[in-house]
Amino acid sequence: MAGSSTSYYFVIIGTKDNPLYEAEFGTFKQGGDGVPKFREEQRHMNQFIAHSSLDCIEDLQWASKEMYLKAVDKFNNTWVSCFLTGGNIKLLLVHDARSDEPIRQFFTDVYDMYCKTLMNPFYEVNMAIRSQIFKAAAKKYL
Amino acid sequence: MNRETSPFRTPSTGASPTPKHASLTASTNLRYSLTRKSIYDRHLNRTKTSELSKSAFAFLFGEMVQHAQKKVYGVQDLEKKLNQHGYAVGQRFLELLLWRDGRTAKRETRILGILQFISHSLYRAIFQKAADTLEKVRENEDEYMISDNDPLVNAYVSVPKEMSQLNCGAFIAGIIEAVLDGHCFPAKVTAHTAPSELWPGRTVFLIKFEPDVLEREALRVGG
Amino acid sequence: MSSASRARLGEEVWKTRTDKINAELVTLTYGSVVAQLCKDLDGDYAEVNKQLDKMGYNIGLRLIEDFLAKSNMQQKCANFRDTADVISKVGFKMFLNITPTIANWNSDGKQFSLLFDENPLADFVELPDDGKAQAELWYSNMLCGVIRGALEMVQMQVDAHFVSDLLRGHDTTEMKITLVRYIDDELPQDDE
Repeated sequence: MAGSSTSYYFVIIGTKDNPLYEAEFGTFKQGGDGVPKFREEQRHMNQFIAHSSLDCIEDLQWASKEMYLKAVDKFNNTWVSCFLTGGNIKLLLVHDARSDEPIRQFFTDVYDMYCKTLMNPFYEVNMAIRSQIFKAAAKKYL
Repeated sequence: MNRETSPFRTPSTGASPTPKHASLTASTNLRYSLTRKSIYDRHLNRTKTSELSKSAFAFLFGEMVQHAQKKVYGVQDLEKKLNQHGYAVGQRFLELLLWRDGRTAKRETRILGILQFISHSLYRAIFQKAADTLEKVRENEDEYMISDNDPLVNAYVSVPKEMSQLNCGAFIAGIIEAVLDGHCFPAKVTAHTAPSELWPGRTVFLIKFEPDVLEREALRVGG
Repeated sequence: MSSASRARLGEEVWKTRTDKINAELVTLTYGSVVAQLCKDLDGDYAEVNKQLDKMGYNIGLRLIEDFLAKSNMQQKCANFRDTADVISKVGFKMFLNITPTIANWNSDGKQFSLLFDENPLADFVELPDDGKAQAELWYSNMLCGVIRGALEMVQMQVDAHFVSDLLRGHDTTEMKITLVRYIDDELPQDDE
């Protein structure tokens, strides 16, 4: 798959396996326009791939003390990378090529914004986040 | 996105419901001041070393207790309310502290690890001192104790007579509970007055883990 | 006492006579109080404002003693302008480590504004986007009550309320304080 057609599915999962935020991005690298280019069936698959990785994560999270668990699951040519916060919120990215470092940077920015969201006394853990703030992080690193 | 067939749980399912009101954080309906940076543009370390007066906290905390007391049915109910306030504070400090550790941040995966995190790092960040002791309760496999000789929250608060059994440490118990819960070590944490000759306000936080936590720990020790 | 020496006094009290604590603990605790009130009162923000003011008032009644002891202020303020100066440079400095700007005096010298460039209570805060909070909630309203209660203990009945707030998207955070009257040898009214 050519680099510029790379697309990402990003989801934040709450402590009760509830999605707090979902988005699709296209790559911004190599002249990419940031628009996701998933085919319809793939869009649906992304959610299932992300969801089915939750079991893997549950095993891995007790074997490692890292917050960034890197790629935790693979389905055909699709990877799932995971960052686990202190409050057990899972940041998941479904992507078609391994690239641990840019994804780490993306997750780091997202975590920063998640913390800022949480510090607001009117936000409660597991509330959906409707903000567009995470798009900027995708643009920077993906 | 395909909502009907989404494999994720929708917020309406599950035993304990997720909060009703979805956040609209940073959506376009809010008005923003031209002179104030949005919460997303402010660095999270801006307040890292900021200090306020202890009495400001004492007055606020004391009034919080007074206010909560008006609508409760006794000491336990009041302690539950203080616990809830502490819980909200603890959830936030947990993520904030890990965020501040950056790339070196570690999640604790063992009971002793998370208890040490609480009695050292967390306690120091919030109260500028480590907790005084961390012990295992000998008789009960699932219980631990963290003690504080002179908890900040008991220092200034005058407890009304009819509430003489109240320990305002319930607030700190809530902070501890939030951190344990957040890290998937669900436990019940309660504050108990345990005065010593030297420390009349000494408080013990009793931590009782849920059975799952011990089962998991046993598995990990084996593997 | 000159305005400059009050500023020095405030600094000195803050530096040498004030036990300090992590500001984030205070900010988050205040946030929890406000958020809980909003929930308990089911989004009736007018009532939340009222409760915050009342809690502040109770604090003010007790806080004045701590203030007088630490600041060691013996003399009464000569006039309301002096009072304003003391509130900003000694009072706010001592408790919240800020000195709000005094502005907008009216012609009879009985009303002024405090402008808050910084407000530690509101760090991290964004009001709920429910179409109401930004029009109705005064997030830091407890501060009004504190001033009202504290001044009442030194024989001044005042009205204090916010007229703008950065959290509402305004360009300033401004509290207006108006002297209603000096109380002569009366017992303070019980607000409860």
